[in-house]
Amino acid sequence: MADHFTLMALHALLLATFFSFLWKRDKAERRRYLIKVFLILLLGAVAVGWLMYPFPRPS
Amino acid sequence: MPAAEERRLPMSPTLVVALAWLVPGLGHLLLHRRQRAAVFALVVVASFVVGILCQGELILPKQGDPLSFVATVATLGNGILFFIAKLLGLGDGVSTAVTYEYGNAFLLTAGVMNLLLMLDAYDIAVGKKDW
Repeated sequence: MADHFTLMALHALLLATFFSFLWKRDKAERRRYLIKVFLILLLGAVAVGWLMYPFPRPS
Repeated sequence: MPAAEERRLPMSPTLVVALAWLVPGLGHLLLHRRQRAAVFALVVVASFVVGILCQGELILPKQGDPLSFVATVATLGNGILFFIAKLLGLGDGVSTAVTYEYGNAFLLTAGVMNLLLMLDAYDIAVGKKDW
């Protein structure tokens, strides 16, 4: 349960599922939206992580 | 049973919204959106349980921490899950745990999702949304 990437992926999956069922009616459209939101959240978080890399928190 | 009768609103929109807050997915179930109700209930409960397992905190107002008031709204959005967790002595949070912040994120997300479900249930109940 302590694996950060797994938790992040699970969080992204839950959010993507929630919003696809909240906002999309059609089954195919819902599936496309779920995949899109999941990937944006996951890859976006990794990208932001890399952007923050040169600016470590002062100890 | 005719479709129109089956779709008839069983109670006032206010009561539907209140029940939607209390039990995640119940608002949609009462409005005959069974599949969406099941998915929403599963997602909100799963998020809440993972948050508790990650030793997250059910944040309540703290003096000198204005953001805790905003977080409280999200925490209370969990409805009955919040009260059950408190009754079982869960959700106090372990700030030294490596997953503490993740736990908070899951718990706050679950609450906010349930608040959005209340709005969606209201839209369906008053006829602004027909699915």
